[in-house]
Amino acid sequence: MTMPVDSGALYDRLIVERARKPLFAGRLENPEKIGEGKNPLCGDKTRVELQLDQDHISLVRHHTRGCAICLAAADLMAERITGLNIAQAEGVGRQFSAMLVEKDGQPATSATAGTPALEQLEAFAPLRAHRARIRCAELPWVALKEALSHVDV
Amino acid sequence: MSAILEKGPVHQFDSAAIRQQFPILAQKVHDRPLVFLDSAASAQKPNAVIDCMADTMRTQYANIHRGLHWMSERTTEAYEGVRDQVAAFLNAPSREEIVFTRNSTEAINLVAYSFGALLKPGQAVVISEMEHHANLVPWQMLRDRAGIELRIAPITDEGDLDLDALQDILSDGQVALVAITHMSNVLGSVTPARQIADMAHAAGAQVLFDGSQFVVHRKTDVQALGADFYTFTGHKLYGPTGIGILWARKALLDAMPPFMGGGDMISTVTFERSTWAHVPHKFEAGTPAIIEAIGLGAAISWVEKVGMEAITAHEAALTSYALTRLADVPGLNVIGAPKDRGGVISFTMDDVHPHDIATLLDRNGVAVRAGHHCAEPLMRRLGLTATARASFGIYTVQEEIDVLADTLVRIRNFFV
Ligand SMILES: Cc1ncc(COP(=O)(O)O)c(C=O)c1O
Repeated sequence: MTMPVDSGALYDRLIVERARKPLFAGRLENPEKIGEGKNPLCGDKTRVELQLDQDHISLVRHHTRGCAICLAAADLMAERITGLNIAQAEGVGRQFSAMLVEKDGQPATSATAGTPALEQLEAFAPLRAHRARIRCAELPWVALKEALSHVDV
Repeated sequence: MSAILEKGPVHQFDSAAIRQQFPILAQKVHDRPLVFLDSAASAQKPNAVIDCMADTMRTQYANIHRGLHWMSERTTEAYEGVRDQVAAFLNAPSREEIVFTRNSTEAINLVAYSFGALLKPGQAVVISEMEHHANLVPWQMLRDRAGIELRIAPITDEGDLDLDALQDILSDGQVALVAITHMSNVLGSVTPARQIADMAHAAGAQVLFDGSQFVVHRKTDVQALGADFYTFTGHKLYGPTGIGILWARKALLDAMPPFMGGGDMISTVTFERSTWAHVPHKFEAGTPAIIEAIGLGAAISWVEKVGMEAITAHEAALTSYALTRLADVPGLNVIGAPKDRGGVISFTMDDVHPHDIATLLDRNGVAVRAGHHCAEPLMRRLGLTATARASFGIYTVQEEIDVLADTLVRIRNFFV
């Protein structure tokens, strides 16, 4: 009973911490951009709100109802993209997706030059082995894409 | 063969002997012994079924109903023999009332299409709030196609069908069919089928029971239930996928137009017109799932040898043990408290999402289902988006429920 549960490296401490105590949860008073993501399979939902400073993302908040993976992915995404410009944020999103798609044990693509590193988002790499859960981590990025879809760069 | 099968029906349950008949239960998952608590989604298969299907393909196989040769005749006998077996399994008055389908979903679609063709705009079909999408979407499609009304009978907060409300829904005499689950795949609730049938008949309606979950756990007698239609699916009854059953009263099958057209379902065909074969063949167009039907026959024989009463008693004991163990898991909420529960328990945990529960249980070898269980409107009714669900079968043992409960405690500690 006292033995800790085997989480198969999927639930990195960082993911559990952020799911429990998100740092970027909430709403902005006057968001400039809003995007939503929904997973019809499980009912998870996330809403991402952005404030821009020219083409830089200056403030991010998310409102997420979902599993630990989805919550932590939203929170760590918000942290990672704050301060990036739109092209950089989109580049991180592409890299994040690529990391989750395993090809012969290797991520499908490697970082293209000039894209900021994934940093803490690498905590999600073990999801590769849990195909059914990849959508959970990608949901906030879907919402971000929607939020940015009407931005002219 | 193990002792239990040689002795025939026994009411002392020899779990070890039963488990030995399911080779998959010896598998490991993530280096842990497999604890398979997802039989309500689909059950594992005993050697009797696996071997029977392989032997059919190895030694006695050809297309049925159309060959004049020995192999075809033997295969037709085996296939048609299963029709007799299913009729006996359901206590149906006649073998001609047994229609082979792909699964329960197809059986219900067949009724929605062919019985639905007899309905007039303004007539109504009643389903309940706790239906699987298989017994919901086909009726919505019929509503939109035929201009009938679809009425929803509510459930109580405990997860029982609200019979008073059903009575009101039936009162205007417009209802042609009441189509209700015989056991909920989410709440485990067993519905009072005989009472529902009597209420429906008093209001001039026919009644269909979705027996997908029920037949696995309890003896089913369509005559005692007063049913007009009954459906189930082979793969939950320890049989193969790709085979399901529709039972319907012959008078109804005779009155209904065919569902699909093709080979086997005709009497004569010219370019101008075709006439239909007698029931049940009128509803079995094309080469059916021959090997799977024969496999279903093996599954039914196997279940009957173990004995349905013994299975029911074993699962009832396990379910009440599980409810006791789960009550001690901090933060765990069992969903629903139906008057009569089969071996299905849905639950949520405060602060832990069902998907995280399922993933972490899986890491520890325990297979459960998480999600909306193909019953989204029910989830909404319960104010939930998803639950985790543990379901029990013939091979489930108490030790597995201990593993479930202990692992759930550790999962909770991990997150909180
Ligand atoms: C209550 C109920 N009805 C219908 C079905 C559909 O069964 P199938 O997918 O085999 O058609 C299921 C199983 O998923 C079920 O649990």
